[in-house]
Amino acid sequence: MSAAANSSRQPTEAAEAFAGWLRNLGGDAAPETAGTGSGPTWLATERQQAAERVRTQAVPTGKSEDWRYTGLRALIEQGFVQADEPVTALTVDDIDEVLVPGLEAHRVVLVNGRYAEALCDLGTLPRGVRIGSLRGMLDSDPDAVRGVLTQIAGEGSHLFAALNTAAMQDGLVVLLERAALLERPIEVIHLSVGMDEPRVAQPRHLISLGEGAQAQVIERYVSLGDALYCTNSVLEVALGRDALLKHARVQQESRNAFHITGLYLSQDANSRYAGVNIGLGGTWARTDLVTRFSGEHAECDLQGLYLAGDKQLIDYHMDVRHGLPNCSSRERFKGILYGKGRAVFDGLVYVARDAQKTDANMSNRNLILSPNAEVDTKPQLEIYADDVKCSHGTTVGQIEPEMLFYLRSRGISAALARRMLCLGFAGEIIDALGPEALRDYVAEQVGARLEQAPLD
Amino acid sequence: MNAIPAAATTVENKADTTGQYDDLVNAGYEHGFITDIESDTLPPGLDEGVIRAISLRKGEPEWMTDWRLAAYRKWLEMPTPTWASVHYAPIDYQAISYFSAPKKKDGPKSLDEVDPVLLETYEKLGIPLEEQKALAGVAVDAVFDSVSVATTFRKTLHEAGVIFCSISEAVRDYPELVRQHLGSVVPPTDNFYTGLNSAVFTDGTFVYVPKNTRCPMELSTYFRINSANTGQFERTLIVADEGSYVSYLEGCTAPQRDENQLHAAVVELIALDDAEIKYSTVQNWYPGDENGKGGIFNFVTKRGDCRGHRSKISWTQVETGSAITWKYPSCILRGDDSVGEFYSVAVTKGRQQADTGTKMIHLGKNTRSTIVSKGISAQHGQQAYRGLVRIAGRAEGARNHTQCDSLLIGDKCSAHTFPYIEVKNPSAKMEHEATTSKISDDQLFYCRSRGLAEEDAVSMIVNGFCKEVFNELPMEFAVEAQKLLSISLEGAVG
Repeated sequence: MSAAANSSRQPTEAAEAFAGWLRNLGGDAAPETAGTGSGPTWLATERQQAAERVRTQAVPTGKSEDWRYTGLRALIEQGFVQADEPVTALTVDDIDEVLVPGLEAHRVVLVNGRYAEALCDLGTLPRGVRIGSLRGMLDSDPDAVRGVLTQIAGEGSHLFAALNTAAMQDGLVVLLERAALLERPIEVIHLSVGMDEPRVAQPRHLISLGEGAQAQVIERYVSLGDALYCTNSVLEVALGRDALLKHARVQQESRNAFHITGLYLSQDANSRYAGVNIGLGGTWARTDLVTRFSGEHAECDLQGLYLAGDKQLIDYHMDVRHGLPNCSSRERFKGILYGKGRAVFDGLVYVARDAQKTDANMSNRNLILSPNAEVDTKPQLEIYADDVKCSHGTTVGQIEPEMLFYLRSRGISAALARRMLCLGFAGEIIDALGPEALRDYVAEQVGARLEQAPLD
Repeated sequence: MNAIPAAATTVENKADTTGQYDDLVNAGYEHGFITDIESDTLPPGLDEGVIRAISLRKGEPEWMTDWRLAAYRKWLEMPTPTWASVHYAPIDYQAISYFSAPKKKDGPKSLDEVDPVLLETYEKLGIPLEEQKALAGVAVDAVFDSVSVATTFRKTLHEAGVIFCSISEAVRDYPELVRQHLGSVVPPTDNFYTGLNSAVFTDGTFVYVPKNTRCPMELSTYFRINSANTGQFERTLIVADEGSYVSYLEGCTAPQRDENQLHAAVVELIALDDAEIKYSTVQNWYPGDENGKGGIFNFVTKRGDCRGHRSKISWTQVETGSAITWKYPSCILRGDDSVGEFYSVAVTKGRQQADTGTKMIHLGKNTRSTIVSKGISAQHGQQAYRGLVRIAGRAEGARNHTQCDSLLIGDKCSAHTFPYIEVKNPSAKMEHEATTSKISDDQLFYCRSRGLAEEDAVSMIVNGFCKEVFNELPMEFAVEAQKLLSISLEGAVG
């Protein structure tokens, strides 16, 4: 808080510029709401409040704890403007190149944050499953998202979430009724295409599973070409009692892209969430994963793999709050850094006074392959209950020379040996991805990235 | 514990001093000033006049006065740090008297007048009678044993060429050494409390170990004659020249009587090529009553600079006292192949709060650091480990291992871990592990089924938990620390 006070006392030039930019994007966008009409009043109120927060809150600087290692200057300098119009020129053939070969799924495509009906391939959905655009849902049946939309994220973990709430225009809604079961995964393709001037898309997504419902969602952030753009998305996930969600997120934004996502998760009793985050793309990517439990015996499993290469910054922030007894959480993140790549890992496990029998475990392991790469990791435990099992572990290291020697003595070239070892390191996370087609695809992508990396 | 009156009182005082009474008040101040110098106590408050008075009283050279004043001017601009997870009412720095001679007269006349609870604790710690008197602040006559012991020690040290004296003596007798090193590890501008300390420090220790000398004994403030009353703003400077070794013990296991609530000490260690400094602390100041009233605020900045190649600095601390502890003994591993170590046991119970940890800054090649931190939190105790491991780009082959374990006793206490890890070199190896748990029922049951009372069982388990750190303490210290730990946890269980 003191940092915020400081920044408001002595605004730097960058902070000023940023504040102006934010206000343009969020504050002024508020009057225009998501639907064709003015949208439901409850949402309008939320959005006004969010716009107010954007206007009044202190702009984060390098002194803000949340942005200590993640500078905003590069983002500010781009001067992104709000993406307004939907992109309609694309056909199904255009997205062929970004598809995962052999992946059978109910496919949803969003282009620059807008739901692209024409590109979707939903197939037949089982009973009790609704998939559609946020825009459409707010027009036709706003009550279906009431009590969930904006309620899980609340004020969000930082300004960008408020910005999203104020400026959201469209997004994806997945609703599963009580006991609905989805056998095939839902594949969500967040496609970005470059525009004449750099745009920021601010979609808002919602996944809500009723009691005992089960689903698997695969989100993929992809782009056509090396476009420069920014994504600032928020996903809210509500899991009812006994619900199960398997969730994979593969971030393969273009190498010039800026990527900000927030995942806000609310878990009721006995629910289970298993998420795998793969961070490969973008020049600057920040992800916030926030979990709250609203019932006991819930389980949250967050895994991740990031590869940060030349001039890339990949930042994962985690905030897992145990407010109730008997819940368990696990965070397992691995990173490979090379070139001038930088990674930030900031995980917080908070155990409140009454959250006895909490089982929380966090680990972050990093491989640094080159002299200019950097990792800043901060795994934190904040514990106010005594009957808990909490631990965290962090490592930063390099490839063991003994391992390399072993492989080389068997006639494998140094470069290949390094790649093999890196893939082995990453394999643990990739294997958690679910469908085989996706696992193979990601392993191939990771392999290709490592091949480009100057590993020697 | 009335050293720091509520902030409200001073606001009134300040209001009085403004406006029409200005001249009168200032004039009066001047007068009061002189009177107080005669009785060796300065009135509460801090300004340049007070600092000059301290410097004058200490007979310091001009450069020292200027150094203090520069620190004071910078301090005025510095904000109070708020990032630590400790809570306390704002401190009024104008309500503190920054210089006062030892108040021996105020102490009890004999042990009969000392609080029996305190005596009971001494008994348990096995402290000899004469020492008990000294610790409780009883006026001791001249035949006190340890005075002669101390004199003998000084002779031995002198023969070895080791300088071991108060910082004030050092400023007078070895100005070159002090001037060269003072503030070179912890600059006055480092943080709010170092700024304050640099401006007003009145006591502390100076140690210089010459080249290729192994200090013939473990140095302890306890044996420095003029350190009967530890200063409120202590300044310690230890310089180990090439190839030397020194082990320094600070503090005492016995609870100490102390009238000052705010302690802002600065400790600077400098190790040149192949030198080694081992710095052990046992801190058991008054923690306040069970509601958290009173108690010492211990805001300390300790930093060691491994300036030379193959040098080593090792911090060991056992922190059981103080209402609030804010302390991060750190190592700057500048020289190639230098080694930094930090071993810590911290106990918080009652309403105690501790935010403690370390910084290991790896700059040189093949530098190694080890961090072992054990936190025990009971009753309403709040504890945080906060640490930084930074491996700079040129710290080729740097190695760090960190382990922070927390033990929680009771459901009202808390334990936090805030490690910061920044690695910029691919050949670095860094491991960090942390766990938080309570004493398991199985462990307790096992001990109890073998006839141990619950309290003894807990004490045994806790001692086992801390063993790694106690092993690093000098022998007799370790034994005392173990006893201290059991006493600290008495009544905390069940």
